[in-house]
Amino acid sequence: MSTSSNAPKPELRRSVTPWGSFSWGYSDVGADIFVGLGLVLAWAAGASNVAFLFAGVVYVCIGLAYTELAATYPVAGGGQYFVMRGLGDIFGFIAGWAVLLDFTIDVTLFAWTSVDYTSQLAPALVNSVHPWLHFIVVLGLVMGLCLLNVVGVRESTAFNGVVSALDVISETCILCFGFLFAFRPQLLIHTMQMHWPSPYELMLGTSLAIISFVGLESISQAAQETQRPASIIPRTSVALILTILIFALAYSNLALGLQPWHPITDSAGHPMQFWQIFPQNADNQGKAVALLAAQVPYYGAFAALYVPVLGAVLLLISSNSGVFGSSRIAYAMSSSNLLPSLFQRVNRAYRTPAISIVFFSAIALIELVFAAAPALFPGVSSLYARFFHGENGLEFLADLYAFGAATSYSFVFLGLIGLRMMDPLSPRKFKIPFNIPMRFRGERVDFPVVAVFGFIGIFSILLFTLRTHALGRIFGPTWLILGLIAYLFYRRHRRLPLLRSQKHDWRNEQTEILRRAGELELMDEYLSNLRASDERRAAGRS
Amino acid sequence: MLFVRGVLAGAMILLGIVILVRMLAVVPAGGFAVVPGVVLGVAMIALGVHRLKLIARVRGMQ
Repeated sequence: MSTSSNAPKPELRRSVTPWGSFSWGYSDVGADIFVGLGLVLAWAAGASNVAFLFAGVVYVCIGLAYTELAATYPVAGGGQYFVMRGLGDIFGFIAGWAVLLDFTIDVTLFAWTSVDYTSQLAPALVNSVHPWLHFIVVLGLVMGLCLLNVVGVRESTAFNGVVSALDVISETCILCFGFLFAFRPQLLIHTMQMHWPSPYELMLGTSLAIISFVGLESISQAAQETQRPASIIPRTSVALILTILIFALAYSNLALGLQPWHPITDSAGHPMQFWQIFPQNADNQGKAVALLAAQVPYYGAFAALYVPVLGAVLLLISSNSGVFGSSRIAYAMSSSNLLPSLFQRVNRAYRTPAISIVFFSAIALIELVFAAAPALFPGVSSLYARFFHGENGLEFLADLYAFGAATSYSFVFLGLIGLRMMDPLSPRKFKIPFNIPMRFRGERVDFPVVAVFGFIGIFSILLFTLRTHALGRIFGPTWLILGLIAYLFYRRHRRLPLLRSQKHDWRNEQTEILRRAGELELMDEYLSNLRASDERRAAGRS
Repeated sequence: MLFVRGVLAGAMILLGIVILVRMLAVVPAGGFAVVPGVVLGVAMIALGVHRLKLIARVRGMQ
């Protein structure tokens, strides 16, 4: 398992291709709508499409920020690495620790909803009917994915690619048939006007909508394993951003304006609109896309058979992305002395960070126990009802998911601004549009206006989360505080600065990053920029 | 594979146009409420065009 001290240190292999890079991102963020749609429809009701639109605009800003950063710094750290370089070690730790919360939640949340989708075809798996069976199946899935990831990334990537391609085709078909044969714009307008939620519900719905857009982190996570990342990542990211935005907006608009193929009635026999099945029955919230697909004319007869299966598989892949992502973040944080070196160890046989994978899978299992407890034990259920508004397992996981995402993305925007100011010499093959040129410390820099708007947007979603999520505002900050305490102990043990950053040689590190990524032209450009900058400074001094 | 991608991109553009036209038709009754639908239509057309451009570039390289 561990490596000997005199042997060369094993590195993560570069086996992820352009389609692999897209499918890692798609399988994670693309699956989010399968989880988010039902939750948002349940809370934001007639304003669900507005909630998705607001979260979607913020998501586009996040996507552009990640695209620029991952293409400029193609390392396996993702958000925490960018924040560490832009703002310092302790902020890098906070951002990374928040992302780790998200990825461990991702493992549990998506395994959970994978079982929910399966329950559409196998009713024995419905959580409210057989909670113990539901719990045991989710537990088995998480443990199985842990094992798969210890074995290696190549196998997982190929699997992701096939399912992602099938899902893009499937979702396009569902939306085509839905918008052509079942969508009524007048019904959409009527629903929005008659069922507009209260401000509290809209805030809650918007904070849940952001969970439909979490996962671009996966692309930057895979950056260290992607071939020619500076060229490939911008290409895959832009397509991914637009695809996900469209699917989220399309599903929410379709759900609100859908004329169901088969009449839907409540228990008293009164006709209902399609979206009303979500606030009425919590079991429906975990399988919204399958229920919507079944209501699409003509194609729905076929879709009802395969969408639950495809959804379950896609969600399982997304859960797998959580295992993959958390282990890679921990690997990178460990490399930067933000976590103990234990998490940096790469298995010699499989060349995967096996200890990280097992550790964070174990945390995902603990989260599963917290989420499943109200359904499994009536005593816990009454405790949740008394103190946490009676949130169910899915809402518990969604709360923490929204908190982790909003926290880490807020720091990423600040990190992007910091890096534009502190590191203007690194070549940026992709740069977010709309910048204000200025001079900072003798260098010409481009101040990113989009990052400011993105920060305001995501920070407001973080405030919505803290205001409206009874569990998220307790467990989320608790996770951060416990992590910070452990971080300070670790840094003290290693005799490293506690609140300040350790000394970094960013110049050499950036050169090495670009060399390892195979981006030799960018490396030459970077070295040339450094020489020109040094000459300017020397001329200024003389 | 390129053919399938091209068909998907074409379908996306057509669907975007259909949604845009239908949403614009209810502007007098809907007002602000049409905005998410209009954004959806425009985004679909943009993605379809983006994909077709990429496909054309790949075909040009072959």
